[in-house]
Amino acid sequence: MRGVLEYLWRDMLRWTRGKVAVISSLVMPATWLIFVGLALPTSFTTNYLDFITPGILVLTMLTASFQAGSSLIFDKILGFLNKFLALPTPRESILLGKIFFSTARGLLQATVILVLAVLLGAASWSAQVVILTYVLLGVFGILIASFATTIALHLGDHDSYAAVNAMISMPLFFTSSALMPYSVMPRWLATLASINPVSFAIDAIRAVQVNVIMWDRILPLTGMTLLVLAVSIIVFRRTSL
Amino acid sequence: MIVTRNLTKYYGSLCAVSDLNLDIKGEIFGLLGPNGSGKTTTVLMLTTLLRPTSGDAYICGYHTTRSAAKVRSVISYVPQDMAVDIRLTGRENVQLFARLYGLARSKDRVDELLGLMGLSGRADDLVSTYSGGMRRRLELAQALVHEPSVLFLDEPTIGLDVAARRKIWGHIISLRKKGMTVFVTTHYMEEADHACNRVAIIDRGSVAAIGTPGSLKGELGKEIIVVRAEGDFDSFSTENATKIGCAGDEIVFSSDMGSDIVPILTKDLHAAGLTVRSVSVREPTLDDVFLQLVGQGDDRGPFDDRKFRMMLRRRG
Repeated sequence: MRGVLEYLWRDMLRWTRGKVAVISSLVMPATWLIFVGLALPTSFTTNYLDFITPGILVLTMLTASFQAGSSLIFDKILGFLNKFLALPTPRESILLGKIFFSTARGLLQATVILVLAVLLGAASWSAQVVILTYVLLGVFGILIASFATTIALHLGDHDSYAAVNAMISMPLFFTSSALMPYSVMPRWLATLASINPVSFAIDAIRAVQVNVIMWDRILPLTGMTLLVLAVSIIVFRRTSL
Repeated sequence: MIVTRNLTKYYGSLCAVSDLNLDIKGEIFGLLGPNGSGKTTTVLMLTTLLRPTSGDAYICGYHTTRSAAKVRSVISYVPQDMAVDIRLTGRENVQLFARLYGLARSKDRVDELLGLMGLSGRADDLVSTYSGGMRRRLELAQALVHEPSVLFLDEPTIGLDVAARRKIWGHIISLRKKGMTVFVTTHYMEEADHACNRVAIIDRGSVAAIGTPGSLKGELGKEIIVVRAEGDFDSFSTENATKIGCAGDEIVFSSDMGSDIVPILTKDLHAAGLTVRSVSVREPTLDDVFLQLVGQGDDRGPFDDRKFRMMLRRRG
């Protein structure tokens, strides 16, 4: 566990010292919030910003967690991975450090987005809702980061990884319940959205806002997270020795 | 300290290292060889980063695959990539390693190592402002935090200027004096000659020669005669001197006859129809040993691009 925290801290220091990266990571979700959240004419709700905020928080996590893969690839290309693998520190802590760092970074970014949403006019959340939302975002972040690192370990080079990332992340977002409720979706989209893990996180967060714990969303999400995390660890063990 | 028995690595059908047998203890051991000869593959196997296809390797008595964690606690590995975090300070880079090694009183140790490597004055500057030599010394500081018994350095002076190289070797030599075993790969024969207690020249995965630099040079003969000539010197041979090899427009011979060999050799060359431009006599160097054993390396048959790339990818 000590190793995990050390690797997490290393990535955190490196990230916060690259000021452009800190700001640019916030631009995309903020753009969605402002230009879609405030501007899109909708008929199913009077405050679309309130509706879209959980979706944008999950989008923020999705983007942040997908970077775990490219970060791992860069550590490999630049020789850091070999140095770390030759240390007596348990090797899995390299991977877990990467996954937890991406998730922690995503939560920090989500905090900024949440504050921004409230400033723009979204209803403010109670402490309980915020805490439960963070837990759900955390589980979702670990799921995506584990998935991303598995893909990255499998592909091994950055160009292919970036291509796969671009191919997966946007469709995942658009086929989720982020932008509209199931009731207004075309049938085919509703079907897709109902099996999309991104929707699982969004639906669970929306339920939390009205004090409902949606176990039929939370349990599959957690199960998937544990499964993909285990796969990622196995693939990491296999490819690094 | 380092023992290998028939250590072998295949990448698919390509043999990268073949039946390597080494016994290394308390010395600076240099592994020399052309690109793709298996140097890095050997280091990766010894540092538990790559599983051998067959054979065994032991570091301080620990088996590299069966007791890999034990091996990792007694070694340090500095790859050639110069992997230091440029957005962290020098001190933070070393601290990271001290904490990863679980050192309780890491602060004193970090200060001590930064001082040892001559980085105290710049310890709190971002590494992005460091020169190549400073970055390499910082990597040495990282590698030394847990006082390893065996240090592996892959091309430690690659890309550094002369002064920085000399400094790095100075540090390596003083580590050896403190009792550390240092295993180093390098392209630079002169540096290996100067710093290594023993060297092995490896070619296509097999050891072509092993010994002290002095003994390897001694086997060549007392003098090296370098002839610059024009004509068909590939097929030229003479009984009066040993032809070591050709490099560019130079033919290199060895001999024990002293400078008497010069007129004799010149006559032989003329007789074979070669135009002699210049003849010089000097002492043998490891470069000559290398030339004799490995040749120029550009007459190796077809270059298998696909296999080479596959090897690089697996190695990375």
